[in-house]
Amino acid sequence: MPRYTVTIEDKEFDIVLEYHADRLEAVVNGKPRKIAVHKLGDTRSLLLVDNHSHEVDVRAAGTNGLRTVFMQGMEIPVTVENYSLAQMRKTAGISAGPSIEKMFRAPMPGLVMQIKVEPGQQVKAGDPVVVIEAMKMENILKAKGPAKVKAIHVSQGQSVEKGDKLVEFE
Amino acid sequence: MTRKINKILIANRGEIAVRVIRACQDLGLRSVAIYSDCDRAAFHVRLADEAYHVGPSPSSQSYLVHDNVIAAARESGADAIHPGYGFLAENAEFAQRCADEGIIFIGPKPETIRLLGDKLLAREAALKANLPVVPGADIAYDDDNIALDTARTIGFPILVKAAAGGGGKGMRVVESEELFSEALTSASHEAKSAFGDGRVFIEKYLAKPRHVEIQILCDEHGKCIHLGERECSIQRRHQKVIEESPSPIMTEELRERMGHAAVDIAKVSGYVGAGTVEFLVDQDLSFYFLEVNTRLQVEHPVTELVTGVDLVKEQVAVAEGKPLALSQEDIVMKGHAIECRIYAEDPASGFMPSTGKLKNYRIPAGPGVRVDSGVVIFSEIPIYYDPMIAKLAVWGKDREEALARCLRALREYRISGVESTIGFHRVVLQNERFIAGDLSTHFLEEEYPDNNYRRYRPELVENAAIAAAVDRLLTERKIVSSQSGAMNRAGSGWQSFYRRENLRNFGGSR
Repeated sequence: MPRYTVTIEDKEFDIVLEYHADRLEAVVNGKPRKIAVHKLGDTRSLLLVDNHSHEVDVRAAGTNGLRTVFMQGMEIPVTVENYSLAQMRKTAGISAGPSIEKMFRAPMPGLVMQIKVEPGQQVKAGDPVVVIEAMKMENILKAKGPAKVKAIHVSQGQSVEKGDKLVEFE
Repeated sequence: MTRKINKILIANRGEIAVRVIRACQDLGLRSVAIYSDCDRAAFHVRLADEAYHVGPSPSSQSYLVHDNVIAAARESGADAIHPGYGFLAENAEFAQRCADEGIIFIGPKPETIRLLGDKLLAREAALKANLPVVPGADIAYDDDNIALDTARTIGFPILVKAAAGGGGKGMRVVESEELFSEALTSASHEAKSAFGDGRVFIEKYLAKPRHVEIQILCDEHGKCIHLGERECSIQRRHQKVIEESPSPIMTEELRERMGHAAVDIAKVSGYVGAGTVEFLVDQDLSFYFLEVNTRLQVEHPVTELVTGVDLVKEQVAVAEGKPLALSQEDIVMKGHAIECRIYAEDPASGFMPSTGKLKNYRIPAGPGVRVDSGVVIFSEIPIYYDPMIAKLAVWGKDREEALARCLRALREYRISGVESTIGFHRVVLQNERFIAGDLSTHFLEEEYPDNNYRRYRPELVENAAIAAAVDRLLTERKIVSSQSGAMNRAGSGWQSFYRRENLRNFGGSR
């Protein structure tokens, strides 16, 4: 039976999903929830949780179970882990979810204005990593998920091209 | 003297270009769009009758290049140029160039733009028209001691402001005498580097001011009317994000006095066209002249919704030299309108622009809802321009109905692919101080000091978690089903699961 550990900010959910031929049942942190899903598009779905309606857009954000949920006008970074792997991770004493894409690259050409992290630093989803100035606008590039900084590949004042290595995570 | 306009070039992009193109089509006029490299397939280009390329993506090489815009107007045979807001809208030199080329610039005369665009000159004009201004004085930068004397007379705290430009640059709040000299020097330096003009002036700092502005409309025959006010106190970094009309504090008597003041400065400056006179209103309801915006404002739809006047159509009529068909008595404000500016920005990280492709985009509709959108589904939000992608404006019979309707419309709005300010607006519209109409220009920094708009409600978080878990399960099943042919008898197991689900829920069999 699929069981997941889902992390949003500092909140953790233990979700068991039971798939029957014609329905989906969920137990969320021990409480049963009735679920219905209707696909609206490639990534969009109408999700009914205990008959409450939610339009959601769930997108994979890199590898390793990282997802972005667009819901009620908000963009919510979510980590979904296999429950038993998450348990093992916790036993091993690793604090956060699975690692995100190891190489943090420039999404646009621009000038590196600030580097907000240092090697060895632990970041969580939404933490600012690098500030790039492009077309007179400052763009804060944020961590997509929890990770530890391994190396920094650029310096302040350096101009970068799209796809250049910025910061490497462990 | 009237002159007929048949074809208008819109020297802008995004939602305001769309707004003006719509007015042209409503009037039966031809519309001409201009576009940069990255705007080749933009929504405004798709709507206009004609479209001309004006250069590379950066606006300094395209939308702002006078020669290129004029060349497009020449080639298309447009007899008028509507500048929208931003870009060339308040550029006196460009307005003059249009006049020299024999093209109608839809806006005030170049000399009016020049006069009112300079804060010090505008202040002088306001004094000439007997408008109340915030207590203060013009000072020369090298006159430190005289400046301090003036500051003492006005009384601390005071505000140091740059004569040129805006957007908070060259602006300092000075709490006490000791900090004065340094603030003056640094504000002047900042203004010098930002605008090439180091002149600063000082004025009294109001602790809890509201930003209330009056819409004016003037023809070239000396007639000038006002269309009531807009309350624009909800600002961040001196930029408006939510506007409404009428203002929650407005009385008939105050509106009449402010309206008169606005008309007076318009007359003193020889104003022609649509414009906005901005005021600060103190807690005791005394008001002070701030500046005149010599263009159509972003927030003009709230005025249109409560007065029923199409401001862009009026602009065109005035530009044709026609006398205003409306008189002051014709302007009756009915109901209440609220506008939320929808930005592709992340409120939680200090409103940083969020660029990318709109993977889903659905605008709200229904009674009392108007959306001025510059984008459609799959539009790219480029890094080169202002990140405002749309404006949601709603009308209700009173403020309460408008608020409820605005929240409803925000609920219907769907944007994915980029961050947006929809969630932010939902938070602010449910803020008790906002509901009570207790506003000031410091509202956002007081209520949300750390940009902590992202207060996920617990049930939202749980449902997002469920959505993500279900998505992972579906993805894994899809992989399994495509790997084992046995499950593929009638498409994937999940396709048939969906089919059954849809039948069960929408077919009404249960």
